[in-house]
Amino acid sequence: MASSVYIHIPFCSHICTYCAFTKFYYNKKMVTDYLNTLEKEIKERYQGEILKTLYIGGGTPSSLDISDLKELFKILKVFKFQDDYEFTIEVNPENLTFDKIKLFKENKVNRISMGVESTNINCLKYLGRCHDFSLVKDKIKLLKEFGFNNINVDLIYALKNQSLEDLKKDLDNLLSLDVQHISTYSLMIEDKTILKLKGEEEIDEDKDYLMYDLIRKTLKKHGYFHYEISNFAKEGYESKHNLVYWANSEYYGFGLASASFLGNTRTTNTNNFKKYLEGDYYSEIEKLDKNDILSYALILGFRLIKGINKKEFYNKYHVELDSLYNIKDLIKDKKLIDKGGNIYISYDKIYIENSILINFVGE
Amino acid sequence: MKQENIRNFSIIAHIDHGKSTLADRILEITNAISKREVKEQMLDNMDIERERGITIKLNTVRLNYHYKGEDYTLNLIDTPGHVDFSYEVSRSLAASDGAILVVDATQGVEAQTIANMYLALDNNLTIIPVINKIDLPSADIKKVKQELIDTFGFKDEEIILTSAKTGEGIKEVVETLIEKVPAPSGDPDLPLKALIFDSLYDSYRGVLTLARVVDGELKVGDKIEFLETGSTYEVTELFVYNPNFLKVDSLKSGEVGYIAASIKNISDVKVGDTITNSKNPCTEALPGYKPMQQVVFTGLYPTETNKYNDLRDALEKLKLNDASLTFEPETSEALGFGFRCGFLGLLHMDVIEERLEREFNLNLIATSPSVIYEVLKTDGEVIKIDSPQKLPEITKVKTISEPYILANIFTPSEYIGSLMELCQNKRGIYKTLEYLTPERAILHYELPLSEIVYDFFDKLKSISKGYASFDYELIGYKPSNLVKMDILVNGVLVDALSTIVHKDFAYNRGKVVVNNLKAIIPRQLFVVPIQAAIGSKVIARADIKAMRKDVLAKCYGGDVSRKKKLLEKQKEGKKRMKQIGNVEIPQEAFLTVLRDEEIDG
Repeated sequence: MASSVYIHIPFCSHICTYCAFTKFYYNKKMVTDYLNTLEKEIKERYQGEILKTLYIGGGTPSSLDISDLKELFKILKVFKFQDDYEFTIEVNPENLTFDKIKLFKENKVNRISMGVESTNINCLKYLGRCHDFSLVKDKIKLLKEFGFNNINVDLIYALKNQSLEDLKKDLDNLLSLDVQHISTYSLMIEDKTILKLKGEEEIDEDKDYLMYDLIRKTLKKHGYFHYEISNFAKEGYESKHNLVYWANSEYYGFGLASASFLGNTRTTNTNNFKKYLEGDYYSEIEKLDKNDILSYALILGFRLIKGINKKEFYNKYHVELDSLYNIKDLIKDKKLIDKGGNIYISYDKIYIENSILINFVGE
Repeated sequence: MKQENIRNFSIIAHIDHGKSTLADRILEITNAISKREVKEQMLDNMDIERERGITIKLNTVRLNYHYKGEDYTLNLIDTPGHVDFSYEVSRSLAASDGAILVVDATQGVEAQTIANMYLALDNNLTIIPVINKIDLPSADIKKVKQELIDTFGFKDEEIILTSAKTGEGIKEVVETLIEKVPAPSGDPDLPLKALIFDSLYDSYRGVLTLARVVDGELKVGDKIEFLETGSTYEVTELFVYNPNFLKVDSLKSGEVGYIAASIKNISDVKVGDTITNSKNPCTEALPGYKPMQQVVFTGLYPTETNKYNDLRDALEKLKLNDASLTFEPETSEALGFGFRCGFLGLLHMDVIEERLEREFNLNLIATSPSVIYEVLKTDGEVIKIDSPQKLPEITKVKTISEPYILANIFTPSEYIGSLMELCQNKRGIYKTLEYLTPERAILHYELPLSEIVYDFFDKLKSISKGYASFDYELIGYKPSNLVKMDILVNGVLVDALSTIVHKDFAYNRGKVVVNNLKAIIPRQLFVVPIQAAIGSKVIARADIKAMRKDVLAKCYGGDVSRKKKLLEKQKEGKKRMKQIGNVEIPQEAFLTVLRDEEIDG
């Protein structure tokens, strides 16, 4: 049974150079049509489960104006929450206003994820962002004044011409915000992004590694707990929503290009706006057999630094974790560690995790 | 069709001189195809041919033309232009009575113009000289005419000027052909005698044999016999190609067409063999062809070992269509079971590999190409080896000889200096230099064949900005100071990476090879040393650093299917590599050992 919901808001007030998500420039008419269809989709699909987490991502949800957001929250009234629920919304500093924050507070939002990405003006320009760090500081302060005490900031690193000193300065700045959660992403230059079209390339892997190492050492030193490849949190502030993904649990995804996992089926919604409005939601349906489900459990579970708990795994899937694939050999090779009831990727290998995870996919 | 109204002809030219375009225009004015249907280079069927703009396989098409109150049938037999494919050229010329010699008005006489012209003369063909591309601003008709007159002794007035692009002169070519090329000389009343000059495989009809009927007549329902293989079949269908397959009831002497006879056994049909009627056989076979000499050999291995049988089936099918390909089973410690394949040249090898991958959906690893070496052993025995792995222990080797070629390089005189330097670096022996005109020269060099198999042609083209051309003939074996250079990856000798090199060049080559392998082999989880060694002596080394980053930092909301797909794709990519010891080596690595300069970056 699903107890998590993701909602995609595919609108932005500007387009960032690295973004490969489905998104459109903000347009009032499109937003109105979209929200109408979103409401329809939720009514058709949501079975009334009590929710543990709700996540509104994008795009840029904060690019919607007050009236759009009011309409959105009206739609979300259909969801029922358990007591210790987590309700996150993604925001950008430049369009996060006093009124919007107030609206979030009034509508049960209790976690904010802000796209800070960098605090260096040249890096921000390279990424096509249109804010600066002083604006970030102001907005974080405002959020705190409204009583938001569970805030995430995103950081992108490994940019062309970015030095280790630049990154260090970024980290110092982020630490000064004193937020509960920091997500850090090494820049990927993906197809259909402005950077790709400009012919930009990713930086060399040795430097990337040094940057990653600096991040994890610095954040750990300052009390952030490294719990997932890219994510750091103060004790007790891990993203409950993302943990649902890593635990291979069920969730709904509503809206354009969003993904769902329900029963033994993973579906991906269309990224075609017109089709979506016509109610033709799904573009891909993947029916999973027992092996697929186990494969997902492993490639997701091993993203967590603590890995997968053997007992929980057995209770859920009725099969011993270390009997799967070549896990025993990987333990022998010291790529996986079997300790304290969990199996996890050796901490010095998590940055080359894919070369371990490919053991658990395909034939 | 009356036999005296049939003309069988080919078009010969240096590569890129517009042969295929000229063929298209001839198809057009004989109304074989409407203008609307003309795709560029109609006769080039294979995707690879169209993409590369070259003709590889010969194609035959029957055309009709009305001239001076008579109907004529013209059989156009297309020919490839590249030096590797001169065997195909000689096959099509054997089925022809005349040839159109095409020369580019902007380029003049080139190496293969001469080589193909001599082949045509050997076959006693009537030659019609044509200067093509006269519409181009850089055309120098007067100069090219003079070259044709000086080189081959043509008369000014018999040279036809054409533009295959605008259609100018095409009619004159066709009509001159009818006037000058003799009708086929065979006798329709003698027993059937037909020459097989190509074949192809059709999944419904089995082997289709392309033949020219020399004497007699071939009818649907006839019992036919292949003289050399001795097999007999009943003719089920006959076709001509115009350029669509058109069924006919019979093929008479002088005619060219495809024979379907439910032939399932590919090896029954040999190009060059004679077909006769088993009830009334001819007494003597046609001369056929000299067996073709393969000069380049390489090991082809499936990346997945269970595809060995598929590779064998694919090679058999290709062989049917390409008599010049040879193959025999080979085993490599590193690569498993595969085939040692012989080719006419590097382009031929390239084309076959590409066809195996595209048409038969195989993932292949090709080892570095090798020539045939002659090894004189200390016990006096002489053995021939087509692979470095077959070289006996060094203590048992007295001398190693390698094949040499005489290269004839046609070039504008300004590039002579750089081309000589290239030949020198390839261990060439200078012979002579002849000036055709003050601006054009022929440079003659003796070169070890092994030095030209890899990138000589590309370098020649880049040095001369595309203007130089070359042709070669094998001139025999010479002893050289050769040694086997082995490559060790992470301490493991990879037999498929061994090459035979000249001792004086070994150190330098070793350094280049290890650096290139370092650039091509992806980082592994650990440091991987790459070493070049002669015997037990390491002559060069480079280390591949350990992998530092291989992670998908971001997972797209809940779109974890995407992550799984990326991992699956990554795994698929690994499959295309060969696991040797605990190192994964990509396909390109096996070919780079012959590069003599370092890869950029």
